[in-house]
Amino acid sequence: MTRVSLQNIDRHYGALHALRDVSFEVEDGEFVVLLGPSGCGKSTLLSSIAGLDPLQGGQILFDDQDVSRLEPAQRNIGMVFQSYALYPSMKVRSNLSFGLESQRMSRAKIDERVGWAAQLLQIEPLLDRRPAALSGGQRQRVAIGRALVRDTDLFLFDEPLSNLDAKLRTEMRVEIKALHKRLGATFIYVTHDQVEAMTLATRIAVMNGGRLEQYDTPETVYERPASTFVASFIGAPPMNLLPARVVRGDGGAVAEVQGARLPIPSGIAAQVEGEVTLGVRCEALTVMPAGSGGPEAFTGSVVVTEPLGADTLVWVEVGEHRLCARIPPRDARSLPGEVALAPASGALSFFHPESGQRIPGEAEA
Amino acid sequence: MSFTDTRTGYHRPEAPTGRGWGTAARVGLWAFLAISALFFAIPLFVMLSTSLKTAEEVRGGSVFALPTDPSLAAWGKAWGSACIGRVCEGISNGLWNSVKILVPSTILSVAIAAINGYALSLWRVPYAGLLLAGLLLGAFIPFQVMIYPLVRMFAQVGIYGSLTGVVVVHVLFGLPILTLIFTNFYRSLPPELMKAARVDGAGFFRIFRRIVLPMSANVIIVAVILSFTGVWNDYLLALIFAGRDNLPMTVQLNSLVGTRIGLPEYNVNMAATLIAALPPLILYLISGQYFVRGVTAGAVKG
Ligand SMILES: Nc1ncnc2c1ncn2[C@@H]1O[C@H](COP(=O)(O)OP(=O)(O)OP(=O)(O)O)[C@@H](O)[C@H]1O
Ligand SMILES: [Mg+2]
Repeated sequence: MTRVSLQNIDRHYGALHALRDVSFEVEDGEFVVLLGPSGCGKSTLLSSIAGLDPLQGGQILFDDQDVSRLEPAQRNIGMVFQSYALYPSMKVRSNLSFGLESQRMSRAKIDERVGWAAQLLQIEPLLDRRPAALSGGQRQRVAIGRALVRDTDLFLFDEPLSNLDAKLRTEMRVEIKALHKRLGATFIYVTHDQVEAMTLATRIAVMNGGRLEQYDTPETVYERPASTFVASFIGAPPMNLLPARVVRGDGGAVAEVQGARLPIPSGIAAQVEGEVTLGVRCEALTVMPAGSGGPEAFTGSVVVTEPLGADTLVWVEVGEHRLCARIPPRDARSLPGEVALAPASGALSFFHPESGQRIPGEAEA
Repeated sequence: MSFTDTRTGYHRPEAPTGRGWGTAARVGLWAFLAISALFFAIPLFVMLSTSLKTAEEVRGGSVFALPTDPSLAAWGKAWGSACIGRVCEGISNGLWNSVKILVPSTILSVAIAAINGYALSLWRVPYAGLLLAGLLLGAFIPFQVMIYPLVRMFAQVGIYGSLTGVVVVHVLFGLPILTLIFTNFYRSLPPELMKAARVDGAGFFRIFRRIVLPMSANVIIVAVILSFTGVWNDYLLALIFAGRDNLPMTVQLNSLVGTRIGLPEYNVNMAATLIAALPPLILYLISGQYFVRGVTAGAVKG
C-alpha cells in the first residue's frame, strides 16, 4: 500500500527554478506518468520523490507519513534510471542482490527474491554475465529487475524505454503494463513519449518548465486539455488552435473565425470577452465539399494529404492557418481542392487568449 | 556508455593522410623518433657496457667500446662490498632502506588519495572549485619552503630522523597531486551509478568498496607509478628526515660516487646506478600500457 502525496514541491539549481510549486496525489496502485518536453523537470521531480535531491520547499508524504527528510534507502522504493546505471563491475546476479545485501537480508531469502525477479523478467540465463555483455533490451530488464527485487509497493521509472528501438519499445511497454497489473504496486513513470503515456497511465501529469500543467486521466488530458500548451503537446498531430473574435447577437454569442461563425455554449460565453482561442482535434473535423458546410464550417484549400495507414491526415489552409483533419483513406482519394471543415458539436475547446488557460464549460466546472 | 569507454580504451578514428605529403611527414616522424630514441639510449648503453668492464679496461679504452671480456664483477662489488665513506658493504643496504620507505609511503598515499578524491567528487559544495585550486597549488608549490617548519614539528612529536618521519613527509607531499587525479577520475563516473547505489541502501564506504574501487584499476596504476617514482627518486627529503640508519639508495649512491679513496671506479659506479634505476624501470615495463590509458582516463572527462 503506497499513496504518494506531493505538496508544493520547490527545487532550484542555482538560479534555475527547476520545480515550481508542484502538487498532486498518487493513489495506491496507480500508474502515474510524468510527461513533458525535455528539460521540464521530470527527472528532477522523480529524484525528489526518491530522496536523491534535497527539496527547497514543500513536502512529500508516503501514506500520510512525511518522508521529506528520509534517505532514499529509508523510503523503500524501487527505481529504474534513465541510463540504467547498472554496476559495471558486478555480474547481473550481484546487481540484483546488492540492495538486498545492504538490507542484511539472509542469503536464502536473497536467492529466493533474485530467482523470483529473474524468472518474472526472463533474465535467468543472463545472471552470470556482466552488464557490458548485454544488449540494450537485456540491460533494461536487469535494471527493472534490480528495482523489483526490493520488497516494496512503490516503483519509480525514469524513461526506461528511451534507449530501445521502436519494436522492442512496443513489446516492453506491454510487458510493463502487465507487470503493473501483476504486482498491484504504485508506479510513477517518466517519459516524453506520448504513446507510452496514453497507453500506460491511469493518470498523466503534464509538466512544462517546472510547472504542473494538468493532472488527469489520459482521455481527459486528450479531449479537454487544461491549457494551450497541453493541447499542442499531446496528440500527433496536436490540436488545431485558432484565434477567434467573440460576437454577441440575438441567438447568443458566436466565435467568428475565418468566415465561420461557431456558437459558444452559454456557460462559456459568460466568461469570455473580445478574443478567445479555439481548439479542435483533427478527428472532430468533418471534411465536406466546399460550400456545403453551412455557416459553422471553415472553408479552405487542401495543401497536402498524409496517409497513415489506418486513416489519412488532410492539411487544409484556412486563411493564414493550417488545420488538420483525420479522414478514412477511402474518402481521401476523391478529395476536391476546396473543402469545408465542420467541427462536431461539443468538440470545441476554448482557451484564454493571453494565459492559454482552458475556459471550463458547465459540464466540466 | 561513458564508463565502458574508460575501461576498454578509446576509439581513435584513423587520421586522414594525403598521399605524397603523408610519406614525407612519415619519414620525418620516424627520423625524429629514431634520433630521440638514440639520444636516450646512448647513455644507457654506455653505462651498461662500462659496468661490464674491468677497471683497467675503463681507464684504457673509449667509452663507446664494447667490453672485451664482460663480467658481473663490478655489479657484485657495487651490491655488496663497495666502500661508502669508511663502510664497505655496497649499496644493498640502501636499496633495502629505499624499499622500506617506498612501500608504506606509496600504499598510504594512494589509499588516502583515493578516498579523498572519492569524497571530493561527491561533494558538490559552492567552493569546490576553490578547494581544487588549493590542491593544485599544494601540488606545485616547491616543497623546500616547508622543510624547516616540518623539521621543527617532527622533532616536537619525536618522529624526526626516523622511518615514520620520512614516510609521513612523503605521504603529505604526495597527497595533493594524487588526490587531484582521483577526484578528476571519479568526477567522470556517471553520477546515476552512485544514486542507484544510494537507493540500494549502500553507504559511503560500501559504495566506495563495491562500486567505485572496482572501476578504478587504471587510475590506481597511474597513482602508484607517480608515487613510486617520486619516492624512489627522492634525495632531499630522505636525507633530511630519514635519519642516518635509514638513508635510501639515492643518498648512498651519491656518497659512493663522491667517495675519493684511490682511483674512481667508474664501472662500479655505473653498476650501482643501474641497480638503483632498475626497480622503477621494471615497474614501467610491466605497467606501461596501463599508464598511458590511465593518464588519459583520469585527465579527460569521459
Ligand atoms: N545537476 C544539475 N545542475 C543544474 N541544473 C540541472 C541539474 N540537473 C538538471 N538540471 C536542469 O534542471 C532542468 C530539469 O532537468 P531534468 O533532468 O529534470 O529534465 P527532464 O524533464 O528529465 O528532461 P529529459 O526528458 O531530457 O530527461 C533542466 O533545465 C536541467 O538543465
Ligand atoms: Mg530526464
